[in-house]
Amino acid sequence: MENISIEGSHTNFFVPSVDFNFETGICILSGESFLEDTIEFYDPLVQWLEEYTSEIKKPITFEIKLTYFNTSTSRSILDLLNILKEYEDDGGEVTVNWHYDEDDIDMEEDIEDYMLDTGLEINMIPFDEDTD
Amino acid sequence: MESQSLFTRVTGKNVLMSFTGPFDTEVLSIFGKNIENSISKNLKLNKTIFKVFIELAQNVSYYSLEKEMTKKGEHAGVGTFIIQDFKDYYYFILGNPIDEKHEAILRDKCSKINSFDREGLRAYKRELRKLPPGERGTGNIGLVQATLVSRNPLDYSFIELNDKEAFYIVAVKINKN
Repeated sequence: MENISIEGSHTNFFVPSVDFNFETGICILSGESFLEDTIEFYDPLVQWLEEYTSEIKKPITFEIKLTYFNTSTSRSILDLLNILKEYEDDGGEVTVNWHYDEDDIDMEEDIEDYMLDTGLEINMIPFDEDTD
Repeated sequence: MESQSLFTRVTGKNVLMSFTGPFDTEVLSIFGKNIENSISKNLKLNKTIFKVFIELAQNVSYYSLEKEMTKKGEHAGVGTFIIQDFKDYYYFILGNPIDEKHEAILRDKCSKINSFDREGLRAYKRELRKLPPGERGTGNIGLVQATLVSRNPLDYSFIELNDKEAFYIVAVKINKN
């Protein structure tokens, strides 16, 4: 199994930064996500997570620091969170931390809705965008 | 809202940005960038308009009856968008031709979205998000998201073009404060 590292960019489309590390079990998804082909981008991340949870089976900490994602991306995030929930239900140790701008009410609602959808406990960690 | 009043708004002053043509990925990204950076000095407000633009423009791209082949070989839907600047709000209007048979379906979708309070709309979005991409009804999620983000109901109207086609117009108000 290999780590995934993708440097994010904000040009015509917004590519999020990805740092999935199977040795530490820490996975970071950050930046903004508005992609030309959402499925093509997220499929390898979904596959990575499926492999980690079925073969590595160590604790996993999932850190989300997205400041924007479109609805197309929101489906892929749901896929990732559902895998984590299944892993947790099978006895895996899962921590999900979602960092969001304390003024971004839409994002706060999105996180709450993901908790309702998946049944996964997500630690909501607000930050002040102007100072952080 | 009736077609006549929507068009009165459009033909009036205050047009800040407008475009008619294929909504391909290049157009989406160029206008998206402009909206994000230059609509107003308030970056958070620009971001809200950007979010509405992306969700609604993608619907034109996917669902417009009129398609055009772009240089990149994409079949992009053709439509129109207009952003108007009023004292207390921006008004974001999109339009595209549709098969006349779809008018009733779209009218029902918009009416359903407007019938929800915020909690109901969030629940509806969750329901739509669980559908596989491309499945019937998933196009609504962009309309739902635009409504949630703008915090205003959809204005919508249909103009009969001929026996087979209608022009579908959807618009949202984005408050400045």
